Order: sequence, then structure tokens, then C-alpha cells
Amino acid sequence: MARGFFCCCAIALALNACAKHAPLAPPTYLQVDINVSPGTLDPRFATDAISERIDELIHDGMVRAGRDGEFAGNLAEAIERPAPTRLIFHLRRGVRFSDGRGLTARDVKYTYDSVLDPASLSLKRAGLAEMASLRALDDYTIEMTTRRPFAPALAMATLGVVPAGSGFAQARAGFAPAGTGAFRLTRFRPDEAIVLARNPYHSYPRDAAPGLVLKVVPDATVRALELVEGICDFTENDGVQPDLIPYLASHRDLEVEESPGTTFQYLIFNFRDPRLRDLRMRRAIAYAIDRDQFVTSMLRGTARVATGMLTPENWAYEANVARYQYDPAAAKHLLEEAGYSAGDPRLSFVYKTTPEGRRLAEALQAMLRKVGIRLEIRTNEWATFYADLTRGNFDLASSQLVGINDPHQYYLIYDSEELPPQGMNRGAYSNPEMDQLVEAGDTELDPAVRRKIYARVQQLAAIDLPYLPLWWVDNVAVLNRRLRGFEPYPNGSLRSLATASYLPSPARHRFDD
Amino acid sequence: MTSLLLRRLAALIPVALGVATLTFAMIHLVPGDPVVAMLGENAQPADIAGMRHELGLDRPLWRQYLTFLARLASGDLGESISMHEPVARVITQRYPATLELAGAGLVVAILVAFPLGIVAGANPGGAADLGAMGFAILGISVPHICLGPLLMIVFSLILGWLPLTGRGGLYHLILPAVTLGTAIAAIVARMLRQSLAQVIAADYMRTARGKGLSRMGAIVRHGLRNALTPVITLLGLEAGALLTGSIVTEMIFAWPGLGRLLISAIGNRDYPLVEGCVLTFSLSYVVINMITDFVYSAADPRIRIGPQ
Repeated sequence: MARGFFCCCAIALALNACAKHAPLAPPTYLQVDINVSPGTLDPRFATDAISERIDELIHDGMVRAGRDGEFAGNLAEAIERPAPTRLIFHLRRGVRFSDGRGLTARDVKYTYDSVLDPASLSLKRAGLAEMASLRALDDYTIEMTTRRPFAPALAMATLGVVPAGSGFAQARAGFAPAGTGAFRLTRFRPDEAIVLARNPYHSYPRDAAPGLVLKVVPDATVRALELVEGICDFTENDGVQPDLIPYLASHRDLEVEESPGTTFQYLIFNFRDPRLRDLRMRRAIAYAIDRDQFVTSMLRGTARVATGMLTPENWAYEANVARYQYDPAAAKHLLEEAGYSAGDPRLSFVYKTTPEGRRLAEALQAMLRKVGIRLEIRTNEWATFYADLTRGNFDLASSQLVGINDPHQYYLIYDSEELPPQGMNRGAYSNPEMDQLVEAGDTELDPAVRRKIYARVQQLAAIDLPYLPLWWVDNVAVLNRRLRGFEPYPNGSLRSLATASYLPSPARHRFDD
Repeated sequence: MTSLLLRRLAALIPVALGVATLTFAMIHLVPGDPVVAMLGENAQPADIAGMRHELGLDRPLWRQYLTFLARLASGDLGESISMHEPVARVITQRYPATLELAGAGLVVAILVAFPLGIVAGANPGGAADLGAMGFAILGISVPHICLGPLLMIVFSLILGWLPLTGRGGLYHLILPAVTLGTAIAAIVARMLRQSLAQVIAADYMRTARGKGLSRMGAIVRHGLRNALTPVITLLGLEAGALLTGSIVTEMIFAWPGLGRLLISAIGNRDYPLVEGCVLTFSLSYVVINMITDFVYSAADPRIRIGPQ
């Protein structure tokens, strides 16, 4: 009996392994390697970076952010602001969803209504909190009103539009509703691959790829090997490990493109701790950290030392702010002034368990030890790390802000009313002048005045140091030379893959038969 | 035999209960709120409360536990918080990939270990023994995280014989199976060598040789079967470990198995999915051990399991 059972198992295993598996996608599709699987491809629910990047290929919003962080029309061909709290969007005519239905204002209204429906439990409801109403004035005109004059109101118009009637249940189960974007979803295998075919109602250049395969490959070395072998045509940012860039750049078929990115790496201080409420301590830590060394050694030059949250490419960036060059002597002096002797301050540092996080923590520990601060490191996986951040269970912590376009983000991270768990002011920073500035920046509609307000915000933040800016992460894309015309975006958008010219790889699908 | 099988299957119930209780306790006691992790810090309090209620997380822990047990008793593993699909369906989709990889790893382990162990055991202290055991030590010492990429570079990049990643046909299975099976092959080969070296000195082996069998013939026909009992025990244990130990290999080879699912479920604090995956792994382990017990009796008729 046992022998029979064993034989049956062995035969089943062999048959399954030898079974002919259909290829994921036609060999002419362009392959993009990604490191994590997207959570959902419904634009009404997606919040993680990779989901949003893929969503953008399937769904269009009324507006979208350009390279400088400013919003421009997408489904909307014209935008008017007849009153401080009123925006009118004129939709393009003749736009079709990938299922053939024509886009009308009814679809836009339905999309927003479904997000705002409490039953949806959509994470994007919070982003629409300033919206008072959204109405379809006719088939191609949308009126959006805000609760108060709200400068970054256009950010609320970036939501990807789905056809009226698209339900929730399907949307959450790894299904993408039809969109008006360049592609449509044909296959979604979590942790394996996402296959996108062309939207038949969306024109594209004849020499562009007829579809995309976004393959989930968790290991950085393996992604590099797939690029070298020619299986993968493109990967970027989190998909590229800085250590491997010289190796990839040396390969004749590959091209490494580095461009300024908007991802902001920071060190946050917990103001609930009286030691860190002391500005001298925060400044001592700022002087003790050699950020140039981090950028050149750990990040292999794939980042720029940051002066604040906004990058120099952003319209609101202010260069004239206090800067903290590496100066251990100044750090020691400040600590003595604050009444500490060497090894006296003992702080805890939490980070998310990643190889980069570990290296950052170890380097910070060594740098702070030199000035007499002992750093205890706590390594946590994401959920625990996040719980610590929201509960204020840390002294120092490091994380990233991704995809920053509008300086409205300053309100979210610095305003004293934005405390966790509902707010993002994780360090419990409070300064009445800052509160006044970030609240004024949200309601001021004149771009020139707004620019001045945020210049002051950046100067005050550089003095107060609620966050110590570490660096802005560059966008690093590695692509095969068969792919031409890729245009990088500071927020890591993949949208130019829809129009880039592409010659299919001969290396792929060799083993499919 | 059938009643014995039924008794052994019935013994799975307390094991499942124990594993389910431990998993439930551990995943609920570690810090990290699944609702906050899912909704983010910008979520409205009403959204958080609504999601908590929908998932039943607003009830006392003991009530959640009883509901979990009641569902489990009816064969319902609940719905995944992050994937919004029934846990049983998600596991059913992913488990075959893990079984396939673990099974192939076991086959590789046996195919490598048996020749090595026999050659080494038949010539203890000889050059073949030293060579085979040297290979075994190397196999144990090289971790999957190194061996996987090394095999990829040689067999995919340089020679172009095998695909790098993904799950497809037999070609796709070879590199991950070799990566997974090598360490176990090394352990099994060492065990077989030891066991065989002892058996060779037995009287019945001299008798077999005296009746005209060649040295290798006597080993294969009489020695090997008697040397197998400890090897089967080890293989049974290692087969269970292969299932859970395949997580690293699944990550390297982008293999869409249960291990990767478990890792992402833990990160998302997806309680039902973590419980479902751990329960599946644990029950698989128990079932494999049960199968091992039955294989004993097939390999050596002197061993009888159950009441004599």
C-alpha cells in the first residue's frame, strides 16, 4: 500500500512538472522586473508605489503630474478655476475605455462617488477630504468644489477613472476595471506576474511594444542576471541594487540611466522625548552624520544629499536654508553644552528590516558613537516598524517619503494637529509659526505668494530640524538597448514605456515549449 | 492497515488544534495592527472602525479565537485580509508549486545521496569515501542564497541550458530543485555512509559474499535494505523541512509558492492567511511523518507499526 501511494505521488509530481505550461505572454511583450507584487490594480484602492505605477498605465485621471510636480490635463483638455473653491474640468471627447465604452462625465462622477462611499473602505477617501462636491454638468464637463480655498485641489483630480458600475468585490480580488490608459490587464498572478495588453482604443507608435509583462522577481541579484541574460528589458529604482550598477553598466547590451528623483530619505526625531526636544541634541546629531559619505559609499552615488523634503526640480524648492556639514567637533561641543558626557545619551533607532536599512543603521551607529552617542538598533519588519512609528515608540527612525509633488505634504508632516495614528506628524513636532505657515500654504491660491510661504517653511524646518534630511534618491533605470525612447520621471512613473520603441528579445521564451 | 491509517489521521485533529491555537496567539500578540497597516495614517477614524468591524477585530480576542475555531471545524479558513479571497482558495492555488518544488528537491536529494553514500560506505576510509564526504560537507556548508545564484550563473547565463526564474515546465524546476536538494543530499549521504559501513561488517554480509555474490552485489541486495531504516527516518524529517525550507529558494527563483505567500502575509498582518499557511505547513509535516512510518514497514518487514 505504501509503495503504491509513493508511486502515485511520484507520478503526479512528474506529470505536473513535465506538463506543458502556457507562456505568460507573447514573446513580443516587453518585460519589466519588479521586486514586489502590487496589492490591487483598481485605482480607487491602490496606494502602494508599484500598484500606482502600474495603475497609471491602465487608467487615466482628469489630470496628472508632470516632471516639475505641477499638474496638467490628462482626460481633461481644459481646466478652469472660476472661483477659489470651484474647478471646472472639460473632458476630451472620443476617449474610450478598453472595453469599448465611451468616457463621459458620468464615469468620472461614479468613480469619485464609489471612493467616497463609506462601504468602499477605500484608502483614497482621506485624500478627498477637502472636496465638498463633484457634479457632472453635462456629458463632458465636471465641476469640483472644495470646502475652502485649497491650493493643491488638482491633486484630487489625479484619481484614475473607471467605467460607471464597476463593482468593489471584483476590484479587490486582483482585478482591474477597464481604463482609458494605454494598456488593459489580461492576467494578474500575485507574486508571479502582471500581463498588460494594449488598449484597443488607444493608439500607439508602430515600433512600440504590443504589451508588457511585469514579472515579480524578489531577489536583486536575480533581477540583474535576468537583465544580463536579456530576459528582462527594464527595471528601475527599488529593482536596482546600487552595488550592482557598475556590473550592469559594464554590459554592452545594457544602459543605466540615472536621473533626479523625488524620493526623500529622512531621519525623524521623536519630540515626545525631552532629550530630543532640545535643539542642541538634534543639531549635534545633524553634525555627526556624514551624509556625503553615505551617498558616495553606501549608495554608490545614486542619491543627492538633501537640504529638505522638496527637490531642486520642484517649483517650490528653496535653496537658501541652514545646512549641516559633517562636523564631529561641533557635534561634541553641542552635546557638552547640553550637559552630556561621552556615551551618556543612549538612543534607540528603529528601521525596517531591509539590507539598505541595516547598513544605514550600522553606519549611523558608528558615526554617532564617534561623538559620544550610543545608538541601540531595533530591526523590525514592516508592520512592527509601522506600529512603532504610529505609536511614537522610537527615539530616532528613518524612512522615505515617495512621490512628493506638492508642498501640501508639509502640512501633513509638520502641523501639530496631524498627530498619529490619524496624522503623519510622527515625531509630534509642534511650532505655532510652522502651523500657521503650512495652513496658509494650503489656502493661498497665488503661486508667487505660495512659493514665498513654502520658502519660509523650508527655512524654519532647517532650523528646527523636526526631520533631518538625509538624501533624495535618484531614479535609476537599467534598460536593454533594444528599448529606446524611455523618459524618466522624478516620481518613477513608467508611462513612457507605452510609447518607447522596442525590439523583442530573442532570449525570452526559449524554454516555454 | 485501514484502521491504523484512520487512527493516525484522527491524531491529526489535536495537532491541528494545537498549531491553530499557537499560530492564533502568536500572530495576534506581535505588534502591528493590520487595519492601520492597510489603511495608512491618513485613514479616517470611521474607516478604521469600519474595517475593524468588518474583519471582526473589534471583538474580544477570546471571541475571535472561538469564531476562528468554529470556522476551522467547518473547514473554513476565512478570507484573506490583503487579497480579499478565501484563504483556502489562495492556498490551493499556491500549494502545488511548493509541493512540486519540495518533491523535486527530495528526488534530487535521493538521486545524489544514494550513489554517494553507497560508494563511500562500501569503501570506508578510501579515496571515494573522502571524495564523497568532502562533497557532502560542501553541500551542507553552502547556503541556498549562494548556491542558487551560482547555479544560475553557470547553467543559465554561461551555458544557457536552463531558465533563470519562474515556474513553467521541467526545465524551470531543475535549478531550484538542485538548490533545495543539495544540502539534504549531503546529510542523507553521510547518514547512509555511516549506516552502510556498520552493516558491511555484519555476519550475513560475509555469508552473502561466501555464497558467491560480488561485494557490490551483496551491498545492494542485502546491505542496503538493512542500512535504510535510519536513512528513511532522516528523509521523512527532511522532507517536512523541505516544505518550510523552500521559502529562501522560492524567493531566489521567483517561485510562486506558499513560502512567499506566508512572508507577505506576515508583513501585511493578514491573520487568516498566516494561520492558513502555518496550518498547511504543519499538517503537511505530520502527514509526511505518517507516510515515513508506513514506508518503514515496506523497507523492512521486521518493523510493524501499530498494535502487534
